[in-house]
Amino acid sequence: MRFLKQAFALTLALALLLLSGCADPAAREDESASRSVFAMDTVMDVTAYGPNGEKAAVAAVNRITELEQAFSVTIDDSDIYAVNHAYGKPVTVSDDTAALLSEALRFCMLTHGALDVSVYPVLKAWGFTTQDYRVPKADELQELLARVDYAKVQCDGNTVTVPANMEIDLGSVAKGYTGDQIMQIFRDNGVTSGMVSLGGNVQTLGSKPDGSPWRIAIQNPLGDGYVGVVEVRDEAVVTSGGYERYFERDGEVYWHIIDPATGAPAKNGVISATIVSGSGTRCDALSTALFILGADGAETYWRTHGDFDYLLVLEDGSIVVSQGIADRFTVADDWANHNLTVVTK
Amino acid sequence: MKKTSFWIILIAAVALLAGAAALWLHFHHPDAAVANIYLDGECIRSIDLNDVTEPEIFTVEGEIGTNTIQVEPGRIRVTHAECPDQICVQMGWLTSEGGMPIVCLPNKLVISLDDVPAKIGDAEIDGVVG
Repeated sequence: MRFLKQAFALTLALALLLLSGCADPAAREDESASRSVFAMDTVMDVTAYGPNGEKAAVAAVNRITELEQAFSVTIDDSDIYAVNHAYGKPVTVSDDTAALLSEALRFCMLTHGALDVSVYPVLKAWGFTTQDYRVPKADELQELLARVDYAKVQCDGNTVTVPANMEIDLGSVAKGYTGDQIMQIFRDNGVTSGMVSLGGNVQTLGSKPDGSPWRIAIQNPLGDGYVGVVEVRDEAVVTSGGYERYFERDGEVYWHIIDPATGAPAKNGVISATIVSGSGTRCDALSTALFILGADGAETYWRTHGDFDYLLVLEDGSIVVSQGIADRFTVADDWANHNLTVVTK
Repeated sequence: MKKTSFWIILIAAVALLAGAAALWLHFHHPDAAVANIYLDGECIRSIDLNDVTEPEIFTVEGEIGTNTIQVEPGRIRVTHAECPDQICVQMGWLTSEGGMPIVCLPNKLVISLDDVPAKIGDAEIDGVVG
């Protein structure tokens, strides 16, 4: 009799335990809160772990909306729209726009114009902004290139001046900056583990809840599947690839990464450039710049600055990886026979 | 006394059965692979790909037009889309093995296997860049 009572009590306790496990998920460290939002021409997935996850995820989505409003080239009351339509007059912009533009201009300078925020008129001429694709003639490109020069864009505190015939676009750095800002919101809300995926960019805070690193796969630029996986903690991973947006004309492939030196799609031997570093903005800026610079230019830049690591996939299918991520990059099985070079200092 | 013990045994038996069932559900999800279909962030339909026996084709109405979705046992894809870039069509099948979500940006359509982690070989991955 007593045994039965004990068995009954035990079963009841067990059932209650299981039930409570379902009813109160937020209290556990490995429980996550997730949000998906369409912004900046992509889908953004925010995931924050721990008891403050829900609050942090909601705050992150609000921040994304705010940043899109500031950086969009098409929303007609955005900061960028305003500076592009001021006919050379100074415009007062938000703190975010000022911070991101000055950081972007710094990378334009460091990369000697491989990254150029003022290449937007050329991008438009190719139809990449409207998907109304065309191949501009050489003289049209020359004419447009005369209007491309980041050094003529002035950013003094919150005052920005873009010359009358020029236009800027922060598309190459906006998602990176957004990732940085979301990590800040996570920290402000007491979150120590989280991740955001912003359509091709990934940024992580801390480690996974079980203490292991985040495993980020790099998409195969030549087809289905992945090139491999890189393990990161507290870092952003950003890839630029020609396959992301392109069109074909007369058997020729034209992709959206424009070389500001030629006004044409950058074809310097790289088909995918991945950057890993603690700063999302830096990753975003350099993934575009190193794609344009090619393998030699990328190596030179890395040797000079070195505050990041990179992985390139070249036209012939070979992989180049810098030493800082060489031992935390695992190549996928179907890429194991590709040539892999580690660049060391 | 007899009557009381009968009830105790009965309740204990029911509780034991319920507990066992709860445990089974807790640890033995029968390999569900639920594809959630979202339009502008709202889940409009959930399909367990491993429960599909009859192939099905249906359309959803998004912001700028329709997407035609095809479901077969263990997999789902977009076959037609009234959008300029056709990226969602090019993404091909999303299978119950897991993988990256199918996304149609112009129509704000997302098809994702929220509870099936993406994998490379046997190793799970947390995110994808590219």
